Amino acid sequence: MPQAGFLQDWLRRATAVDWFLLALRIVVLAVVGTGFVAGLLHPRYGREEWFSFLAFGLTIGAIYALIALGYTMVYGILRMVNFAHGDVFMFGAYAACFSLIACNRAGILNAYPVISFTIAVIVCIAVSAGIAILGERIAYRPFRRGRSLAPLISTLGLSFVLEYSARGMFGAQNKSFPTMPGIDGIVAFAGFSVPRVQLVVVAAAVLTMIVLTLIVMRTRIGTAMRAVAEDKDAATLMGINVDRVIVFTFALGGALAGIAGLLYGLVFKQISFFMGFFLGVKGFGAAVLGGIGNIPGAMLGGYALGLVESLGPAAFLEGLGVTAPYQLRDAIAYTMLVMVLIFRPRGLLGERLSTARA
Amino acid sequence: MASDLAQGVARRPIALPGGLRPAVNVTISVAVVCAFTVLVGLFGQFSDRAMVVGVLDIGHSLMLAAALAGGAVLARRQRMASVLIVALISGAVAGGLVQALVVVARWANLRWMLVSLTPVTLNRVGFLLPDDQAALVLAASGACAALVGAGLVLCGPIPRRIVLGALGGVVCAGLLRELIRGILGGLGGVDDWGFTYDGLLPAGAAVSAAIGALVTIRPGAARYAQLPPRVKLGARLLCLLVLLALPALTNDFVAQVMMLVCLYTLMGLGLNIELGLAGLVDLGFVAFFAVGAYTVGLLTADATGAGGHLTFFAALPFSIAFAALAGFLFGLPVLKVRGDYLAIATLGLGEIIRVLVLSDMLKPELGGAQGIVNIPKPALFGFVLSSPTRLFYMTAIMAAAAGYIAWRLQHSGLGRRWLAVREDEDVAQALGINLVGVKLSAYTMGAGFAGLAGGIFAGMVGSVFPQSFQLLVSVNVLAILVVGGIGSLPGVIIGAAALIGAPEVLRDLGEYRYLIYGIVVIAVVRLKPDGLSPKAIRQREAL
Amino acid sequence: MTTRLRRAVLRGFAVTCLATTILAGHPRAETVGPVTDDVGVVKIPKGQPILIAALLVLSGPDLSLGVDASRGAEIAFDDHKNMLVGHPIKYLPEDGQCSVEGGQTGATRIAANKQVVGVIGTACSSESRGGSPILWNAGMPQAVTSATAPALTAADRPMGLQGIVRFVYNDLNAAAAAVKYAQSLKVTKAATLHDGSLYAEELATAFAKQFKAAGGTIVAAEAISPSDTDLRPVLTRIGTSQPELLFAPIFTGASAYLTRQEKEVPGMAKVPVLGTDAVLSPSFLEAAGDSAIGYRLTGIDNDPKLMGSRYGDFLAKYKTKFGEDPIGGFHGNGYDAALAMMTAIEKVAKTDAAGDTYIGRKALRDALMATTDLDGITGKLSCDKFGDCGASHFAVFEYTSGDPSSFKIGVNPKHVYP
Repeated sequence: MPQAGFLQDWLRRATAVDWFLLALRIVVLAVVGTGFVAGLLHPRYGREEWFSFLAFGLTIGAIYALIALGYTMVYGILRMVNFAHGDVFMFGAYAACFSLIACNRAGILNAYPVISFTIAVIVCIAVSAGIAILGERIAYRPFRRGRSLAPLISTLGLSFVLEYSARGMFGAQNKSFPTMPGIDGIVAFAGFSVPRVQLVVVAAAVLTMIVLTLIVMRTRIGTAMRAVAEDKDAATLMGINVDRVIVFTFALGGALAGIAGLLYGLVFKQISFFMGFFLGVKGFGAAVLGGIGNIPGAMLGGYALGLVESLGPAAFLEGLGVTAPYQLRDAIAYTMLVMVLIFRPRGLLGERLSTARA
Repeated sequence: MASDLAQGVARRPIALPGGLRPAVNVTISVAVVCAFTVLVGLFGQFSDRAMVVGVLDIGHSLMLAAALAGGAVLARRQRMASVLIVALISGAVAGGLVQALVVVARWANLRWMLVSLTPVTLNRVGFLLPDDQAALVLAASGACAALVGAGLVLCGPIPRRIVLGALGGVVCAGLLRELIRGILGGLGGVDDWGFTYDGLLPAGAAVSAAIGALVTIRPGAARYAQLPPRVKLGARLLCLLVLLALPALTNDFVAQVMMLVCLYTLMGLGLNIELGLAGLVDLGFVAFFAVGAYTVGLLTADATGAGGHLTFFAALPFSIAFAALAGFLFGLPVLKVRGDYLAIATLGLGEIIRVLVLSDMLKPELGGAQGIVNIPKPALFGFVLSSPTRLFYMTAIMAAAAGYIAWRLQHSGLGRRWLAVREDEDVAQALGINLVGVKLSAYTMGAGFAGLAGGIFAGMVGSVFPQSFQLLVSVNVLAILVVGGIGSLPGVIIGAAALIGAPEVLRDLGEYRYLIYGIVVIAVVRLKPDGLSPKAIRQREAL
Repeated sequence: MTTRLRRAVLRGFAVTCLATTILAGHPRAETVGPVTDDVGVVKIPKGQPILIAALLVLSGPDLSLGVDASRGAEIAFDDHKNMLVGHPIKYLPEDGQCSVEGGQTGATRIAANKQVVGVIGTACSSESRGGSPILWNAGMPQAVTSATAPALTAADRPMGLQGIVRFVYNDLNAAAAAVKYAQSLKVTKAATLHDGSLYAEELATAFAKQFKAAGGTIVAAEAISPSDTDLRPVLTRIGTSQPELLFAPIFTGASAYLTRQEKEVPGMAKVPVLGTDAVLSPSFLEAAGDSAIGYRLTGIDNDPKLMGSRYGDFLAKYKTKFGEDPIGGFHGNGYDAALAMMTAIEKVAKTDAAGDTYIGRKALRDALMATTDLDGITGKLSCDKFGDCGASHFAVFEYTSGDPSSFKIGVNPKHVYP
């Protein structure tokens, strides 16, 4: 009877805090459950609306997942939160935006959309990876052996610098993202309709993740990354240049963030200098949700966060009779983040962390 | 493939003679910094504001500062006279490079992308001269600045101090001219000889330079050091009194800025208990600030339904209590979470609170976007604290009281337990310290301090709007601690003055406040990892 | 111990004494030169400039509100040859950051300069919430250019807001104009959407109230947060209640998402959206691109036929001075606010034989409040007893192109109603 033994054990050891947590857990589950049932019974939404929510959720989830991957790889090796990662994403979006505009000015955007898109991908990857490497130099490397707070603060500072540099360089106004030919319009199948750009984005994100998996699993530098993430000292003894691996990890994370920026621009068609920070925080949340340091976990966490954000207001706030539920979307995302941190800090798929700091 | 990429990332030596490489690096760095100021628009905004009227604008001062620093860096690497020539050439090349970049930018016409590269700005870089003359002028001024920079390193400490002090004096007077005008005006001084509305006049610049130089060489320092401690204490008290009297002697703007500094000091003291003493990273401090502000708002303003008609001072204890309660309830589940996760969890809390107070859902209770208005000004025995000066004194007294409490706490048994937990949780637990209880007490008390600050804020502003409770507040408080020195009480005041007071005084910076804020934060964390006023214990630990 | 305590008490006493003497300071002059005033008198010595400050948002996403008004004011000063009652005008714009704290600090900074006579602005209502009481205490009247919240000129406004004289419409009028337009479209079911900003929330509420009073039904009252990028779920929700019009007084960023994504949501594709002059700026076109075409908004009717005759000249001057067409919809209000301020100063200023000028603060505020039949750019302006002087006619505009450089009120967006 291991089950009963566990229960007895728990009862014996439980402190007031544990009881409080148990009560909190029950309350949260009850609220979500009630809302969910009531929401499903609510006649407002039909099959088609629910499908739309699902599609929106997967699209934004793909973007969260790409951002989360950058966090998870860096955190897995260094155990440090990089607050400037969201701004790397923002710079990627601007780079993609300007390369598409440049293509348009050169008159090749509509004539050769594939070439233009390739140019945009290359430019945004290069810019984001470059900024990520620069960030590592300025705000990380000096503190790698220091106390944990210094890099946190310095990346916060770096985040300010990047944001307000972008503001100064590209203007304070929201920037319109150029329309790519061929991805507009709506695809209809089996009675459902979904904007084509969402399909493109989800497909591109999946493709990127496959490439990432190949890099991490099949290349020498990927193997080195995994070795460093496993045990830094042993990796050093095996002749792996840890510094180089860390730089590469940053570059790889930056490149993924850059692609996320491009996809974001394609979906939302509007970018601003300020969009990076909170998307970054949510991306970190997604990484934690999946289990930090865990690459499939980050992907799963991203999609899960996107779906909760998209379905949450309709699925349970609606049922609870809340006024203007969409205003609370961010609150739902953050509440979920806090709950995961409290109740399942190791994430959905379990965390994988380096044994020691670099 | 990928490993090739990684190899490319690694530094490859550039084939240059050894002595030349630092010079090339410095030259390029100086040019890049100058280009950056133009790209982000910093230069454009300040090139028409005078540092010294008719002599130098603020935009070019930035560039000269970069060249000066470049010269100094060169000279620090190679401490010999020949480096002067290297610096001279390096500065001149950097200046020429800047003008070359201007020509390129004009030709490439990238304004569709880089909005700051307006034709006017580009022309201003070269003082509106034709390109060849502009290049000459820029090269000459760059060379001079680099030469001065290198010379300062090579020369003795006393001339260095004098020159740096004089430069600092002019820069301070130029940037802070409104504040100084206000102070002089408040003291009944005549300021027309030194300043106009456009900036510092040459006469004013000369005086500021002299004052700056005097301050740095401190002619009476040796004699002062020999004075008996009692007199020294008196002198310090006198300084404090003058500082405290400043708002009343000058104007309300000074009072307002000092009041904000006190408010953030108060919050910094609270976070210092959480972070500095117990080691809890909190990025959601604004949540408790908001709870405090809304408590005062709801209890004093008569517009809302919940309102009792309490006076400000009767409501203030509730602010502290409710904020502490919120801290307790939130801390209970969250404090088991480890360091970095705690930062994210608390950040989430701050955002949740902001979204909730803004929401239509709670609008009947909290006013939604319309906030709570008509909060009466604090009044004590019929004496209404309406002006910023009076509010400053109130806040200063409260901050002083809070500082005293924080100081006592730090040296109490609880404070030692906090320190033990911060240093090593496992050891602390082994010593029989109740981890959760100790952490929770720190978190609750910190939240209480934030609640007090929030309550004062509500009384100061006279209204509470959700827009006031941005993440930026939390970041500010955290940065204050880091910049001032974590765990150090004087550090909190210094940090607040540097990060809250200075940007308010330098409001002319406008959009660029946060850019400079970010740079300062990175620089302080890098150059002074223990803060500007590190805690004494840390210094002892280092030995 | 006791000596230490005694010393501490003595020290505290000394500080308190000092503080009280200081606090009792700042006496207000009643009579200076030939002028007697209840609040105070500003003396401008011969040859010195007359200081007019401005408290407007000059940075951040809403800067087009404040910068446009500020430019209008500068043109008004130019038209006056930058001279007023024999003194040069010195214009001191201050950034209010479109927030309560920003308004408060900016106002404190203005109020610290006792030579400032009057203030142009604010641009945002929240700036006035924070700043006006301070300016009121300093005796500086405000000529507001684009803060439209009804509370600022409500009959029961508190003391601190009584220095406000508004040269722009009141939100209640804007909402009324939107309701009128809805009625002209024969709409009976409308939805509202706001972004949690002070302005949008107030306008959405006012619209709902007046629309219901006019016999319509509000089928959905929704809200988003300003940082929201994906409005499709909320639009789906609104779509399920089948409105015939969506009134969305939100700002440029969110409006651009709205106009793009609305077309992708099945239930909303055919529902017309009505914005407000919050999106009457090229930055909306910058953000929305071609999807802006067809977007409608209520705004001040800047039709030269309706406006004061000088609007055409004004536009030409604006273009010459700033190199571009007006960047927002409040340049006329800025001009008029400055004009009213100058007119009021001329009315009350007294210059003595030595060439020194004296201006009574209360007299100036009263003169500004008593503005009647001022021939402004936005029309003939007369203030009511609560300080509402906006004579703006409302119109509905529609964007015809997504190119920011084509922004020109009356052409893009073009005038569609009335």
